[in-house]
Amino acid sequence: MNRKLLGISLILLVLLVGCSRKELKVPLEDVGMVGIMAFDYIDEKQMKITVAIPQYSPEAQQKTQIFSVATDLVSSGIVEIEKLSDKKIVFNQLRVVLINEEFARKGQVRKVIQHLYRNAEVGNKVLIAIAKDNAETILKGDYPDKPNIIFYINDLLEPSINTAFNPNTNLHDFIYTISNPVTDTILPYIEKLDDKLEIKGVAVFKGNHMEELIKPEEALIIQALQGRKNLAPLHLDLHEGHGEEKLMIDLIESTIKMRSNKSIESPKLIINLKIKGTLSEYKGAREYELNTVESISHLEKDINKQLEEDITKFLDKLKNMDVDPSGLSEKFRMYYDGKWTTKKTREVIGKLKTEVHVETSIISTGTLK
Amino acid sequence: MSTANLKMLNRYHVIFLAQSIMIGTGILSLPQKLSAMGYTEWFMPVLFGVVATLTLWPMVWLCSKYPNENLFRINEILLGKVIGKVINLFFVLQFIVFSAGIISNYMHLIQSTALQEQTITLPVICLLLLLVYIISGGIKSIARFCMMTFFITIGMFYFTRWAIEKGEFSHLIPLFNFDWQEFFDAFKKGYLSILGYELIMFYFPYIIDQKKAYRHSLIGIWISIFLCFFTTVVSVIYYSEWQLKNVEFSVLNLFKAGEFSFVERIDIIGITLWVFLILSSITAYVWCAKLGVDSLLKKKRNYQLFLLAAIIFLIVRMPFSREFQEKLFTTSNYIGYMLIIWPIFLSVIYVVRKKKVQQ
Amino acid sequence: MPEQIVAKLKKEINDVDDVKLNMIATEEGDVTLIYFSSLIEKMTLQTMVSIPLTNNIKQIHQMAQYVDPKDIQGVIKRLNAGQTLLFFHETNALLSMDTYSAPTRAITNTETEATVIGPQDAFTESLETNISLVRRRIQSAQLKNENRIVGSEANIKISIMYMDNIVNHKNLDDLRNRIDQVEFPLFTDISVLKQLIEDNPLSPFPQYYMTVRPDSICRYLIDGRIVMFMDNSQLAIVCPTSFFEMFVSIEDYYNRWTTASLLRMLRFFGFFLTIMITPMYISALTFHPEILPYELLLNLQESRSKVPFPPLIEVLFIELIIEVLREAGSRMPAKVGQTIGIVGGIVIGTAAVEAGLLSNILIVLVATSALLSFLPPIFLMSNTSRFVRYIFILSAGLFGLFGQMLAFAWLIHHLLSLKSLGTHYMTPGIPRKPSDLLDNVIRFPTKYLAKKTGISRAQKKQPEGK
Repeated sequence: MNRKLLGISLILLVLLVGCSRKELKVPLEDVGMVGIMAFDYIDEKQMKITVAIPQYSPEAQQKTQIFSVATDLVSSGIVEIEKLSDKKIVFNQLRVVLINEEFARKGQVRKVIQHLYRNAEVGNKVLIAIAKDNAETILKGDYPDKPNIIFYINDLLEPSINTAFNPNTNLHDFIYTISNPVTDTILPYIEKLDDKLEIKGVAVFKGNHMEELIKPEEALIIQALQGRKNLAPLHLDLHEGHGEEKLMIDLIESTIKMRSNKSIESPKLIINLKIKGTLSEYKGAREYELNTVESISHLEKDINKQLEEDITKFLDKLKNMDVDPSGLSEKFRMYYDGKWTTKKTREVIGKLKTEVHVETSIISTGTLK
Repeated sequence: MSTANLKMLNRYHVIFLAQSIMIGTGILSLPQKLSAMGYTEWFMPVLFGVVATLTLWPMVWLCSKYPNENLFRINEILLGKVIGKVINLFFVLQFIVFSAGIISNYMHLIQSTALQEQTITLPVICLLLLLVYIISGGIKSIARFCMMTFFITIGMFYFTRWAIEKGEFSHLIPLFNFDWQEFFDAFKKGYLSILGYELIMFYFPYIIDQKKAYRHSLIGIWISIFLCFFTTVVSVIYYSEWQLKNVEFSVLNLFKAGEFSFVERIDIIGITLWVFLILSSITAYVWCAKLGVDSLLKKKRNYQLFLLAAIIFLIVRMPFSREFQEKLFTTSNYIGYMLIIWPIFLSVIYVVRKKKVQQ
Repeated sequence: MPEQIVAKLKKEINDVDDVKLNMIATEEGDVTLIYFSSLIEKMTLQTMVSIPLTNNIKQIHQMAQYVDPKDIQGVIKRLNAGQTLLFFHETNALLSMDTYSAPTRAITNTETEATVIGPQDAFTESLETNISLVRRRIQSAQLKNENRIVGSEANIKISIMYMDNIVNHKNLDDLRNRIDQVEFPLFTDISVLKQLIEDNPLSPFPQYYMTVRPDSICRYLIDGRIVMFMDNSQLAIVCPTSFFEMFVSIEDYYNRWTTASLLRMLRFFGFFLTIMITPMYISALTFHPEILPYELLLNLQESRSKVPFPPLIEVLFIELIIEVLREAGSRMPAKVGQTIGIVGGIVIGTAAVEAGLLSNILIVLVATSALLSFLPPIFLMSNTSRFVRYIFILSAGLFGLFGQMLAFAWLIHHLLSLKSLGTHYMTPGIPRKPSDLLDNVIRFPTKYLAKKTGISRAQKKQPEGK
């Protein structure tokens, strides 16, 4: 029985290969792999989809093919693009989704992204970013020193220590935060400056729409509150009785501990932030005193005070906007029996009292004394 | 069958048979099935394990009364030839539809991820051929395959590393945050995923050390329960409640979170490697179906395995609507629960009859 | 009636022109010598028969055996075995003397299983030499060898060797049975016999271990395996064996355990790599481009842009070229073979890429997998990996990664269901006993390796020590 079966299966396998030719499989070289997809707002019903597809042929003048169509549904837009392209459009190598600001504020962002999330072809590591003004012009822009717009934007949005304020929101994160009642979504915000792109800050969502643009320094606080271990270089302006001082702390390691009073009626949160770092640059009155342990610990205290002030100010700002990008209300949900809703998050954030303690320790002042 | 007297399963075979049959497509969507309970779902697998432990006991007890007979024969002995045969036919149909359900579920998943824009007729045929090839080696061959499957696929748990890194452990509390309605809903849908251990009633006569069969099966069951528990916990910490409800194959998306420098999409490798788990569980079901057919027909024939495979193929690729198919599979799933309660019923009959005889 | 016997004999050996009949006059009257001149050297005949016969006939009576002259078949068998028959005309007695001295090859280095460390001698085609090579290493009365004759026409001598106190006698009986059932006219090599007594002759996998190294044979003998030699065959068979042993080289035991473990891992996983690499290329390109990194994909797109065929045909094409090169190279004299290698490797490879017939990444993959396929120390295994690779290539062409996994499941199940002399072939995959794990993919330091392996099912009661 075994032997017969072995023979039969082998023969069938060989014969069946012939059948597979019937099904038209597009070979790799005839596939257009979309690298970037951009959405622009036209009006309430219509949007503009732009895709960037890399060109591999050495003879081609342009390194990337860019197609745009106006459409009301994502999938019908893709069909339209197929008509324009000589290749089969696939999304399995999609890297970046750009959404223009207006679309983020007014359009159906969640629906569009959910459509991509549902598609099994699309990976979960697609980065999402908000583009100022027009996403299409960013794709069509001329960047003389960059070989390929797709890699340029992708590398720009990839995690790097100097842009650690960038939340690097990918497809999963977006869906996770937007569907999770305790957090509000944050996305990096890029702007085109002549022939360069810059991450200008972070866009904060409220519900399904973009609410506000916040500065990188503030976004860094969100990252710290979310518990990121390594932070971007921290730039501080101190006003603690020594005139105006400017300093930069590098290679920061931070740990955060939050304790809530578990009450939704009068929520209170105690935040303990510990940061460790290297003082890489200092400008101000104390420049020549900073060589003793005492003076440094004095400076540390000043930094603590300044940071506490900054964080409290920022939390107040979030409270006024009634958004919770760093998921503070999770600390209350954890102790709440029953169904948690977005409404409860807003309530908690509206009433939230915070107590911030920062503990800075400067490990070294660089290699030079 | 005369081969029923052949004892050939040692303890490792028993452990891994119990373990591998339980892990099929169920675990892929277990977190979604339990999602009625929200984040609190994560302890459910442990509860399932307890229930499985309790329900396994009457099965083994009943079988130990008939050390050389499988459930098909026990049915005939306890319920009489006619009723027994009817019930057996019913079981055979159940096994066929159940395994067809697993195959159909998995092949549609393959179609939507790995083999896009392809018909799945040929892959199903190849899968079934392989199935027949494995089953024709007998239960020991299936047990050995189960064992290898465990060691080949266990490495996939490494793929959840990225999801664990990203997850929020705070999702695990508060504990017991559910009402009974949600609990029953989750229990009803989720328990399906750990079905499979009941097949011990069919391979019990082949076990060498029948006295310890209960303990060995339990080890296997709890290995599986641990795997289910682990998956559920990782899903809970990685997803939001909305995602838990709406992402059908949670494990697949957990795999999507990771990447190696040379392989970008682990989910495809994971889901195709899953075929081992599928094979290890359906081979056991179809083997049981074959055993049932053997007990129904007096004459032993060689082609009944091919016939079973052909029926499964027809169910999977039949021209009925998807809706009907879904209904069929869900019904068969709920009948699967019956198989768990069945030995308790039989045990009662056994005890009653024995008393009568004694009187 | 001596004339009658001679006449009968003459009739039997009619037309066999290398049978010589020499009449010599001795003290005891005339003696006829009958022998095959092709099996006996003149010197041996002279020193052993002719000279004693004429000078010291007592010596002949002491050394020779009496043979029943009426048993013509027995007489002919003796002649065929290289014995010289002496017929004393006076007394009508027939004596035989063993003068077999057909020219044999000297013991030389092994070319097929060369190692850097360790003994360099290899078996030759002479059964006596081979057995002597083993006996030199295991000086024990427990080392038995049973001689048998196989081949219904050619009468070829084989010898089954085993350690009587270690070997599993069930296995031994099984093997004897199998050999008894064989009916085949001629065995030109022991591999022919091997294929007739294997558990599953249809499987692509070799189920018995074959080697020409006496040291390796001795290791297995001590482990309780059964070894078979055949006259005129250089190879010896070891059975039972396991899939894993196909990747074990005896040199592993001469190397440091760290190096040996590394090399073993390389060989073992190399087997799975060689059957997986090129199919992976097909499935990645035809079905799942998303699993490759973007940059690599763009590279592939560029190099594939000129290739006119689908990846499956492309891979089959280059694999065929490699096979052709291998075949062509293996039959050539060494110097010409080198040229073929260069012509094939460089000229065809680069030219094919430049002509746009193949993508250059594929060349790298195919070359790697071809090299990997030479890793197993057992040449038959290397051939098997070539064959199995085609199954994987075809199934990858059918359903991509899913097809590959199906094929992999088939492979695993096939290996699991294979048996070698009744023992499971995949034994180290599912170890029979814990000590098997010590000499597995990782070879533990030598002092842990004294135990017998599980596959040989050695006898439980053993005297201590070797």
